[in-house]
Order: sequence, then structure tokens, then C-alpha cells
Amino acid sequence: MTSTVPAATEVADTLPPAEPGLSPRRLWPFVPAAIVLGALFLAPLSIAVAASLWRTSPSLQLIPDWTLDNFRYLLGQAGYIALFGKTLLMAVVVTAAGITVAFPFAYFLVRYVSRRWQRIVLLAVVVPFWTSYLVRVYAWQAILGSQGLLNGLLKELGLISQPVDVFLYNDVGVFIVLLYVYFPFAALTLYSSLERFDFTQLTAAQDLGARPDQALRRVLLPQIRPGLITACIFVFIPILGEYLTPDLVGGTKGILIGSDIISFYLGGSFPLMAATALLVAVVVLALLIVFRRYLQVEDLVAGGR
Amino acid sequence: MPVSPRARLIRATLRLWAALVLAFLYLPIVLLILFSFEDSDSVGLPVRSLTTKWYEGIPGNDQLVGAIFTSVLVAAIVACVGTLVGTMAAFPLVRARVRWPNAARVLVTMPIMFPGVLIGVGLLIFLAGVLHLQLSLLTVIAGHLVLTMPFVVLIVSARLQGFDRRLEWAAADLGASPARTLWSVVLPLIAPAIVAGALLSVTLSIDEFVVTFFTIGPQLTLPIYFYTQIKIGVTPEVNAVATLLLLATILAFSLAALLASAIGRIRRARLGSPVADSHSYSWRDS
Repeated sequence: MTSTVPAATEVADTLPPAEPGLSPRRLWPFVPAAIVLGALFLAPLSIAVAASLWRTSPSLQLIPDWTLDNFRYLLGQAGYIALFGKTLLMAVVVTAAGITVAFPFAYFLVRYVSRRWQRIVLLAVVVPFWTSYLVRVYAWQAILGSQGLLNGLLKELGLISQPVDVFLYNDVGVFIVLLYVYFPFAALTLYSSLERFDFTQLTAAQDLGARPDQALRRVLLPQIRPGLITACIFVFIPILGEYLTPDLVGGTKGILIGSDIISFYLGGSFPLMAATALLVAVVVLALLIVFRRYLQVEDLVAGGR
Repeated sequence: MPVSPRARLIRATLRLWAALVLAFLYLPIVLLILFSFEDSDSVGLPVRSLTTKWYEGIPGNDQLVGAIFTSVLVAAIVACVGTLVGTMAAFPLVRARVRWPNAARVLVTMPIMFPGVLIGVGLLIFLAGVLHLQLSLLTVIAGHLVLTMPFVVLIVSARLQGFDRRLEWAAADLGASPARTLWSVVLPLIAPAIVAGALLSVTLSIDEFVVTFFTIGPQLTLPIYFYTQIKIGVTPEVNAVATLLLLATILAFSLAALLASAIGRIRRARLGSPVADSHSYSWRDS
């Protein structure tokens, strides 16, 4: 049997360089990454799935007794399902608003702005990320609060006479700030896909008798669909796990499902925390599986460079 | 070129829209910078008098200085390990032509797509609940590694995809060993992507709150310090640090960009040909 070993290496050595992938020697550089992601991503998530079916001892130790009680408890709470629904709705609304804001912005950049300025404006979109997310979100309190900038502006315009309390510590505030936080993701991915589009096609379509709106809908839209879907996913998914924004500008009225995960964490009930996280993960996974063909994750890092 | 009044109107509208969007993006930044110079303790409008006392107070605040130090330490380790591991992983991902890279690619993109809270929950249950490890900076580093390393893989892969393999074959023809080819041909050409990946890792790690929140022990990182201060309601100092953070990041990125262009110029001058440049910028063309 020992003779087969040198024979195998000989074969490997004489493989044509055109198919380097067949040699396992080429695969080893991936091993450390596989270990990191396996041990710190796959294993933890699998354990979390299992833990959602476990219970805790009175001293809050995890005990691997299999039970559906966690899900029974959570789904039995009317407020819980409503919160989950509200989170999905918030994600839908912010995504729609994000695309509505980002599309004209990206379109303007690609069509009317010189290459040099495109890069500068894209950089300007990324720079806000270079300071603390927490502090940026917190700064919105000074804009949305009853003594804030927005109230001052509305008063100046004569639209209100007394400061109004409708922007902060509720869903409106959460919506505005989530739009602020996630709009750049939509802008960068939409820019990447619009930038690849050959706009002479629009002229051609109109030459052939299409109205401008028809040209946009029937020629441009199908070709940027992957970018559009990527943009939606990049805004939608993180909102499902948002905790900080609801915490800082949502108050008690503006909480999302992510706030519940943190409450269970702080309360020490790991199984309920895991069960809630699992419900979110199911939605995330379903979206990723359904739209996997369209996802262009690279666009996110491409646009900002 | 569009000259009709209609086209001009569309253009003007879009321009106004873009300006409004940028104003929306920068309004909170302007405010937080402004607040960092505000004299009174209670942050908010209107700002009455300006001071630099919050900046002057930073070095004397041991807790804050400690948090900055911890964050920088964590980010440095995460960036070093993540960039090394991620860069290595990019090679087989781009070059091996077997079936498994698809699964590997999915594995690499998943942590980017998953909300941080889920990663935090998983790590907490696995490390603390099941393995009974003490939560510490090591567990924080583990969490940040999962978040940042995939970005390095992505950025370096993109660069490698546009890489002209003939440069390597030429080096081999000229007698260079694989190691020499890697060191003198491949790595210099993908260096900008490696640096970009490392910088992104640092910025992501320094700013990461949720995963840190789940994996940290009694220590403080900068975002955790910010969070506790904001919860207590003491914030002018927080705004000052956030302003400095912004400045430091801008400085780091400008330096990296300057360095990259300077190295490019030197290399072009030495080679006397545009080889080094032809793959530098638009990897997406390939």
C-alpha cells in the first residue's frame, strides 16, 4: 500500500497548471479562514439553534433538556408577535424609503457628474461611517427632540406654534434614523449597478419610440435588478437585528425585535434570547436563499473605493 | 447633450436632491462636532458659548483613555489576524476550480449578511453558555474577527480576480520560485486591497458595539464607554472623542491613499513601464 503514496504525489505534480484547483496543496490557504468561521460563526449559530430548545436552571445555567416551551411561550405572547410584525413592517418601509432616496441620488451621480466628482461624492457618503455609529445616532436626539432643530425649523416656517413631540422616542424617530443609517448601503450598491449600465441603450429605446418612463422601466430596470435587490437586502436585513437606534431614539414606544433579544440577554434567559434570534435568523436565511442569485455583496465594497 | 428646458429641469431637480441627501448625511456629524465645543454640560441646541475643555479633559480621564487603548489594541490584533487569514483565504477562493468554492463563498459572505446581534447571541451561548469560557478581550477579538475577516476576503478576492496570471507565469519563466513570485510580483500588486481590507477591519472593529456587548467581560471598549456615558447622560466628552475619531480616520485613510499613490509612482519609475499600473484601479472591468 505504501507504493501508492509516491504515485499519487507524482500524479499531482504532473497535473497541468491549467487545473490547479484539483491539487489539495492549493486549498490549504483557506483552512485558517474555515477554522475561524467554523468555530466562531457556524458552531455558535448551530449551538444557538439548539439552545433555543433548551431550558435554564433557576441559577440561569443552560441545561440541554429538549423542549418547545420557549417557542410556546414567545408565540403565546400577543405583544411578541406584534413586535415581530412591526419590525418586519419597519424594515419594509425603511427599505422602500431608502431606495426612493438613493435611486435618484445614484442616477444623478452616474449621469450628470464627472468621474472625478463621482468619486468625491461617494467618499462623502462613506465618511460619516468613520466616526462612532453610536454618537451619530445619539446626535439625532438634538435634531428630533422637542427643543430640537426640526421643531425649530417648523416653528420658523410657521407650520407649528408649539414644539411637537412626534419625532423622538417613537417609531417616527426610529424610521428617520434607520433611513439615515442604512441609506448609504443602498446608495453605494445602486451606484455600482447603475455605473455598469450603458446609458446609450436608453437613447436607443427612445429612438425606437419608447417614452422615457417606458425606457427606464423596460430597459434600465431589468438590467439593474440585481443591484436593486442587493440594495434592498442590505437595508432590510440589518434592521431586523437593530438594537441601538430603537434604544437611543425610539424610547419604549419605538422598540424592535432586536430590543427584545437584548432584554432577554440582560435578563439572563439565554434560551428565550436564542429562540428570538432564531426567528430573526429564519427570515434572514429565507431572504438570502430566495435572492441568492441576485446578491452582489462585492458592490458594497466596490462603490466606496 | 441635454439642453431642452425639460432636461434642464430634471437635472436641476436631481442636483437639489443630491444636495439634500448630503445635507441629511452630514447634519448629525456637524452637530456632534459643534456639541463637542459646547460649554454647558447638557448637550443640545442652542449652543451658547464655545470651549475646548472637553478635549483638554480627555487625557485626564483614566476610564476613557483605558477604553481607547483597549479598542485600539483589539482593532490592531483583529486587523492583523483577519488580514492575514482573509488574504490567504482569497487565493483558493478565486483560483481553485473545484466545486467547493461555492460553499466557501457562501460561508464567507454569511457573516457579512447576518445582523450582528445574531452573531453576538451565537458567540455568547457557545463561548459562555456551553464552553463556560470567561468573557474577556479574547472573546471580543474572536467576535470582531468573524465580522471583519470576510470583508478582507471579499476585497482581496475582487483584486485577485482582475489579476493577470501571465505576470506570474512570466516570473516563473524567468526562474523565480513560487515564494519569490508571490513576494515580489503578486503581493505588491494586491497590496492596495490588503491595506484597504486592514483599514476597513480597524474601522469596523473600533466602532463595533453589539457583538462587543455580547462578548465582553468587565473591560470597556470605546463604543461600550460611549454607550454607558450616553445612558448616564454625560456626553460633551463623548462628542469630543467622536470628533477626534473622525479626524484620526480621515487622516489614516488620506495617509494610506497618499502612500499608495507614492508607491505606485516609484514602482512605475523603476519598471519604466505601466505594468504595475494596469491592474491597479479597475478590477471590476475583468
